[in-house]
Amino acid sequence: MARTETAGRFPVRVARFTPAILAILAVLLLAALPLGRLMATALIRENGLDFSPLIARLMRGATQRAIVNTLDTALMGALLALAIGTPFALLMALTDMPLRRLQGFLLLLPLMLAPQVTALAFMQLLGPSSALLGMFGLAPAPGTPNPLLGRGGIILLYGIQHAPIVFITLRAGLTALPRDYVEAARAAGARPWRVLLTVILPLLRPYFIAALALAFVSGVGNFGIPALLGIPANYFTLATLIYQQLASSGPSVLSQVAMLSLIIAVIALAGIAIQALGERRTSFAIARGLPARFSLGFWRWPASLAGLATIGLMLILPMVALVTTSLVPAYGVRLSLDTLTLDNYAEVLLRQASTIRAFINSFYLSGLAALILAFCAVPVALGLRHFPQRPRQALHGLLDLPYALPGIVLAIACILLFLRPLPLIGSLYNTPWIILIAYLMRFVALAVRPVDAALGQIPPQLTEAAAAAGAGGLRRLLTIILPLSAPAAAAGAILVFMSAFNELTVSALLWSSRNETLGVILFSLDEAGLSAQASAIAAITIAVVVLLLLVLDRLAKRLPAGVLPWR
Amino acid sequence: MRSLLVAGLMLATTLTSAMAQEGKLVLYTSQPQTDAQQTADAFMAKYPGITVEWVRDGTPQIMAKFRSELEAGAPQADVLLIADVVTMEGLKAEGLLLNYPEADLTGYPEGLHDEDGAYFSTKLITTGIVYNTAATMIPTSWEDLTKPEAKDQVAMPSPLSSGAAMIHTVTLTDNLPEGWDYYSALASNGAQASGGNGAILTAVSGGEKLYGMIVDYMPIREAAKGAPVKFVFPTEGVSAVTEPVAILQSAQNPDNAKLFVDFILSEDGQKLAASQGYIPAREGVALPEGYPDRSEIHLLSYDAAAALANDQDNKDRFSDIFGQ
Repeated sequence: MARTETAGRFPVRVARFTPAILAILAVLLLAALPLGRLMATALIRENGLDFSPLIARLMRGATQRAIVNTLDTALMGALLALAIGTPFALLMALTDMPLRRLQGFLLLLPLMLAPQVTALAFMQLLGPSSALLGMFGLAPAPGTPNPLLGRGGIILLYGIQHAPIVFITLRAGLTALPRDYVEAARAAGARPWRVLLTVILPLLRPYFIAALALAFVSGVGNFGIPALLGIPANYFTLATLIYQQLASSGPSVLSQVAMLSLIIAVIALAGIAIQALGERRTSFAIARGLPARFSLGFWRWPASLAGLATIGLMLILPMVALVTTSLVPAYGVRLSLDTLTLDNYAEVLLRQASTIRAFINSFYLSGLAALILAFCAVPVALGLRHFPQRPRQALHGLLDLPYALPGIVLAIACILLFLRPLPLIGSLYNTPWIILIAYLMRFVALAVRPVDAALGQIPPQLTEAAAAAGAGGLRRLLTIILPLSAPAAAAGAILVFMSAFNELTVSALLWSSRNETLGVILFSLDEAGLSAQASAIAAITIAVVVLLLLVLDRLAKRLPAGVLPWR
Repeated sequence: MRSLLVAGLMLATTLTSAMAQEGKLVLYTSQPQTDAQQTADAFMAKYPGITVEWVRDGTPQIMAKFRSELEAGAPQADVLLIADVVTMEGLKAEGLLLNYPEADLTGYPEGLHDEDGAYFSTKLITTGIVYNTAATMIPTSWEDLTKPEAKDQVAMPSPLSSGAAMIHTVTLTDNLPEGWDYYSALASNGAQASGGNGAILTAVSGGEKLYGMIVDYMPIREAAKGAPVKFVFPTEGVSAVTEPVAILQSAQNPDNAKLFVDFILSEDGQKLAASQGYIPAREGVALPEGYPDRSEIHLLSYDAAAALANDQDNKDRFSDIFGQ
């Protein structure tokens, strides 16, 4: 097989400059702009550029500890996510394991739970007031600290929370597998294990690295999990250190916060650079898609049951704990027939007008963000491929940064950027559109990464042949590039929607009267100590999202193959 | 019941609204969602011509929002209604608050409000002790938290992440005979300082900790719903934050802002606070259910200006003791 493509010369000559310009524009607007504004706040003083406060900041013990903790938890969490997500992706895409679709479906749910909800659910599950453990007499005695507090718990929950990212990314890679390689190996008599180890896994490498990088970056920027599990044990990551810094609210607070954000940005860039190391070689094939499934034989059901048990432990049990809490009048009350109440649901749904409004707001803001990014992802990723390897990776890295920064920092950047009226559109502040723009900035990486991985595997021969046959640029885009990258674009859109739907930290500063989001409501209930009501909202959210996914599932026949990650 | 009361208040205030004003009012508050909505609704019922646009968030977030707007050169808020006076002192020192010395302060004890009229106390949110009903030792004094029975069982909000918690810390160290040694004793008894009041409530009602330092209204409210917690006003007395209201120097609607301050301080505004479960700052307005008589609540003294001046020292001191 000829490897004609060296990175940087994408053979499609279709509108060669338009995508490149679009890509640069996207990077500038969505990433460079907010980051530049933050750098200005961090480093520019009255007397010009000044690095000394940043260096002083770095010398502090608390900052250094937080840097180590951030690297540690994000990396270990990403590896754990890989360990959880990979077997699921392989079993579901490549084998005849029963109940594949159900498992794929359920595996997406952790991503739709706000991180602080996941953390709360697990704490409820394992703490002294655990109704479930209590039933078996296993609940820790009152006064026992929660076993999840601290480093181990944070890593565990990062692994669970980000396993769907790994699953979706790998699944997208498996649907674009060069089928001819696999089938050739099998025809030559290679055993399934051998095919997996020598053909499939090496071919999946760019996807593995993309998944690991996304999970790592997600961990670096995560706030909800270290906030609930780390702060009580005095275990700070950069994201929670920033939050604590904000509390001091003196005149210098913004520049202090911006400095810590720059440190986060550097860490995220390091993670992204490591990704670049692995991405050197990609290979091409003519026939793509899932090869014939491997038969697991005797192991069909054991594999399926093991998968279901894992999902049960990491998803169903905490959800049960969450629902249990939503059914008692106050957190800490034991659930029984006497204490069972729907009052929390009545309160949030019927008495508080803001909940329904927040559902609608979150739904259309995250839906719009997902749609816009899905449509932009292909041209932007295509445009980025016009650049030589190194600048291209740098641009990708820039696009990833807003996702790695804690949401509250991105929100501050947005306020600084959009508060003053802009020509033609006026001030976006106090409108829902500033939240939409912040979502586009924050989640663009989730949309572009999978598409880029897919584009990297489209054989240049395909487009070259089409060009030789006289197909114009637009035609090649529509008939070759788009169909082959559509599953990845759709996977990206689903990731964006689900991440934005429960997002809290960005909208916490950007919402205004009547533009509240679900995360804002949830956080405000938590902060007021109303855990039972917060659990009710979380339970409703899960129900709504499951319903949505079921509707999508019904529509699956009309969507391109491989678009829904669980089918 | 509460909604009936609110409705009644609204009706009453509508009938007495003499000078109807127009325009809008932008309120930044750290009140809980429901309370913020009720406060805005009650004010709008009294002044139907004024539209209140309110944003609520925790004090750190709302201040970050305000600071960002300030840095971008267009602060939006007219009125701030936030948890603690130290933040207000800081804003006052920076010249960001508008003095309103003409405010009507009948019914308020001397010394409760800022003497220049830069900010006004609206309620008393005291900090006392909460315990889980599974606990064997029932605390009555702050000193009980340093006893062996409370070893590793005490949770409290961190003064490093909450201004209100800092006020509590300063009040206790100023008033308890052993001063900062009290906090050293807490630290060596394994007390945990982190997060906000909501997290303390969750930890204690969930049984992860048996004792906590916490604001009064949360455990009183949850205990009424059946949660396994009880609130104690310790014998030495309690600290209090006063949820001050202030008009910003940069207010676009200063007249409406003054009306809002008047409303919050009025008897009706104070009854609203009581109906929401808080101790009203104005004397003569009855306390909500679940509280002892006003005369039984002993407030410890607190010097806001000194606390602001020593803020960094206090933070450093606390960090040293708790190794944070």
